[in-house]
Amino acid sequence: MEFEMTKPVPEVQPWSTRFWEGTKQGKLLIQVCKDCKAKIFYPRKYCPECWSGNLDWIEASGRATIYTFSTAYSMVEPKFMDELPYTIAYVELLEGIRMMTRIVECKPEDIKIGMEVEVVFVERSGFALPYFRPIKK
Amino acid sequence: MGRGKIAIIGIGEVPTAIMPERKPWDIIYDTCMQAVNDSGLHKNDIEGVVIVSPQAQPRLTGELSFGKLPEELGLKGCRDTVLCNAGGASTSNCLRLAEQWIESGVAKAVLIPHVTVHSTIPIPELVNFFAQAGVDLQWEYPFGSTYNIIMGLIANRYMHDTGCTPEEMASVVTALRSWAARDPNSLFYGKEVPSVEKVLASDLLNTPLHKRESNVLADGGCAMVVVSGKDAKKMKRPAAYKLGESARYFSGCPVLRDFNKVGKGFRVTAQEAMVKAGITKEDVNLWNIYLAYPLAHPIMAEALEVAPTGQGGKYFALGRMSFGGDIPWSTIGDAPGRGHTGSGVSAATYVETARQLMGKALERQVKDCRYVYQNTSGGSGFNNIATIWGREL
Repeated sequence: MEFEMTKPVPEVQPWSTRFWEGTKQGKLLIQVCKDCKAKIFYPRKYCPECWSGNLDWIEASGRATIYTFSTAYSMVEPKFMDELPYTIAYVELLEGIRMMTRIVECKPEDIKIGMEVEVVFVERSGFALPYFRPIKK
Repeated sequence: MGRGKIAIIGIGEVPTAIMPERKPWDIIYDTCMQAVNDSGLHKNDIEGVVIVSPQAQPRLTGELSFGKLPEELGLKGCRDTVLCNAGGASTSNCLRLAEQWIESGVAKAVLIPHVTVHSTIPIPELVNFFAQAGVDLQWEYPFGSTYNIIMGLIANRYMHDTGCTPEEMASVVTALRSWAARDPNSLFYGKEVPSVEKVLASDLLNTPLHKRESNVLADGGCAMVVVSGKDAKKMKRPAAYKLGESARYFSGCPVLRDFNKVGKGFRVTAQEAMVKAGITKEDVNLWNIYLAYPLAHPIMAEALEVAPTGQGGKYFALGRMSFGGDIPWSTIGDAPGRGHTGSGVSAATYVETARQLMGKALERQVKDCRYVYQNTSGGSGFNNIATIWGREL
């Protein structure tokens, strides 16, 4: 029984390239529509609100709160087992965007819904994935 | 999709099992022949075949989508066949297609079969399929998400918002398995119903999901024969008439799913389907719910106003949705009770809806079952399709 053990990288679309270039530079970018001012996540070819192609990017503050989370202890793909336990979360950025991420640099039992977190970038195969860690007060 | 336009007049099903020696075509033969015989029609009366797509089985999907089934079964009157895929919502769409074919004169009688054989799929393929299914390959999968984790995210937020306890969540498994233990087609037929303590003592997969709150993949299949409501009435046989339907789309990507919008969608679709059927929730005798994971059932119970807001879990813990309780609920035990046959669980749930309305559910028969609410949902929950079925037009 042979499992594919290569950890996956994001399947990038032409219109999301800029996002991943940004993470490599330590920036969390949000796509915005210059016509209807919508903040867009995930990045699209055209604005999902008004179908404008007049799109741009802003840099997010990188601060967010945890909307929900789940800490994995087993039954993940073998390629991720060396990282167990790990916590997947939905975080809400101050800019009003919700994204999936990992919560790192803390014990799983300390993670709470509503906890304030900040972005930290973690390298994988040429990509920088946006993870989040608790903000130290 | 009008009131009483179609009716299910024949059903067939094989026991859900982990049985690699039982080939997909064994299941197709057995279930289709049972359903046609149950309908009272001849095989050559079947003019259309609309097939529920077997997820995770590309070879079988290819055979079925390219027209092998009517030929294999010798359905000499068949005018057309198609495979339909909307994940767990496939069967609802097969029924919609059957309705359209019957209404437009393509076919007078439509066969809707489903088969899934998980046990012969190599484990690495299965693991990879269910890790990627229903999540986004750019924005979710690279973080190490899985189907189980998506359910954990929903459940943790629900428990945070409502105060629902782990014990109450675990009691959903006890309720679902209490029905499954009495279902000859369940993987858990005749098996011990796990207590709340036993559920919580099982391995923690990802918070708050324990092993017994997850699903066992299995093989299974079923089939239905559908005709127009008018024809069903003329045939004077037990039938399940489709009386109302409503649907809402939420999102393809779980992270974009607004939990409040989902809850509202569950509520609104039920209300709209009941209005179309001309009934109220007090008329519903069975809430036949398909959500695949037990953790989502309290949310649905509240959305349907079967349980007050914040008390969905409590209602399960009180045994109200269990076999013998006062709120008949998911009488095949949903996927955790039946064994998970991919999109086939929704097909099996429709067969159970028809079985209950036909009065053929034996020990699980809901007394004087006149109206059934049934839902389906596709992918990792991209939509909800609510339907109302009745035993009379």
